[in-house]
Amino acid sequence: MSDLLQQTPSWGTALWFALAAVALLLVVLGFVTYAIYFERKVIGWMQLRIGPNRVGPLGLLQTVADVAKLLLKEDTRPQHADKALFTLAPILAYAPAFGVLAVMPFTDSIRFADLGIGLLYYIALSGITVLGVITAGWASNNKYSLIGGLRSAAQMISYEVPLVMSVVGVVLMTGSMNLRDIVLAQQDVWNIVPQFLGFAVFIVAAQAELNRTPFDLPEAESELVAGYHVEYSGFRFAMFMLAEYVYMFGMGALVTILFLGGWLPIHPSLSFIPGIVWFVLKFSLYVFFQFWVRATFPRLRVDQLMSFAWKVLLPLALLNILLTAVVISFQNGMFS
Amino acid sequence: MTGEFLAFFILSLLTIGGAVFMISFTRVVHMVISLGITFISIAGLFVLLGAEFVGVAQVLVYSGAISILMLFGIMLTKHNASDEGTGRSWKNIFSLVFVAGLFGLMFWGIQKTVWTAPPEGAAAQTASVKQLGVEIFTKYVIPFELVSVLLLVALVGAIIMAKKEGDSE
Repeated sequence: MSDLLQQTPSWGTALWFALAAVALLLVVLGFVTYAIYFERKVIGWMQLRIGPNRVGPLGLLQTVADVAKLLLKEDTRPQHADKALFTLAPILAYAPAFGVLAVMPFTDSIRFADLGIGLLYYIALSGITVLGVITAGWASNNKYSLIGGLRSAAQMISYEVPLVMSVVGVVLMTGSMNLRDIVLAQQDVWNIVPQFLGFAVFIVAAQAELNRTPFDLPEAESELVAGYHVEYSGFRFAMFMLAEYVYMFGMGALVTILFLGGWLPIHPSLSFIPGIVWFVLKFSLYVFFQFWVRATFPRLRVDQLMSFAWKVLLPLALLNILLTAVVISFQNGMFS
Repeated sequence: MTGEFLAFFILSLLTIGGAVFMISFTRVVHMVISLGITFISIAGLFVLLGAEFVGVAQVLVYSGAISILMLFGIMLTKHNASDEGTGRSWKNIFSLVFVAGLFGLMFWGIQKTVWTAPPEGAAAQTASVKQLGVEIFTKYVIPFELVSVLLLVALVGAIIMAKKEGDSE
């Protein structure tokens, strides 16, 4: 892939890029299909239910059937909605979700762009989704969707700050914002051990960025019907759901890379197992954690949400930066 | 026709198009979205010039800024409010003359400038984030600190102004 990027552009290379993107898209779609199935099963078991078990063996085709239903559904649009923005909003929400995957190094060889500032690229691009969410909330011309959109904007912008601050410790330890370098710097010990405080802040802030329980206020069913996508149906609704799950894919990959050692094995003696298997294992652990949290946590109140971000998470993240900086300066012999 | 030229053409078209639509749209949310397209395209132009960090910082800063601007636009205007415009008046002619003069001046200035060739090797290697950080905290540390103080003053000023209005009610 990297060799291809260096070549002069032609129709041949353009075709390869398109094929690679489609392959990644198919992998992501496969992940989303079975993540939803897995989510319903896991939550079902935790609530002493069986979960989907009718469509296909063990209910494996349940999501496929659901998606087919969504795509065949009539595409409704409220009469007084803003036509252009109503159409644009799902695209604005989904495009960055897929765009952030371009910098993810899944293993040493399976990766797309090797950007020097991969980490910042992820965080910057994911901010564009907020714009799509507010646009959707406003263009639907519905009070519930507007409230959902406003909540989402406040939440995602606030929680972006502790999210960025919590990874500064990792960047300080590595000395690079390249995701590949960050993984390679974890050969001896994974970042989760020396950066545990940063990891904790990151996990909580990531949960809020993903708009998932206990931070799913933008689409709180009991208060807002469905939040910002209340008026959406069919294909456009599917785009919003897809964006949410693709962000989960992206965030899972990012957590794995930043804190769990990416494709590196637990112990060097286990390196005969290919890197992608390790990556998928760690990644699945994070995804399972998501469903676990969803089945067990209550939702935060709106007034607790903001004070939690600014008064708890941000000071903790700053403390983590300070501690990391002091330890690194000590190791470099600045105090001797 | 290289890929770089094609990308530059599309990005500059989007930048200018976004700016033009920003002025010609009449509803505030439409204006903000087209402004957002301009900012994101400018970020793309930075990336094209090899300044990846500046481009990403542009997206990082302005995507949040645009969201906030849009929120205020939504909260402070009615849903169907649209800007009627000032209509035909002597103001329009005056602004046309002024803008044409500014364009002429800038065009002349750009054409007159003699661009020195970049030093050897500078074009090939793009500045890494580490170099940027080292430069900012050694050579340019005083301007950097001054800018941060300026931002802090603006922040405190905004809070004081908001608080005064809150007390009087």
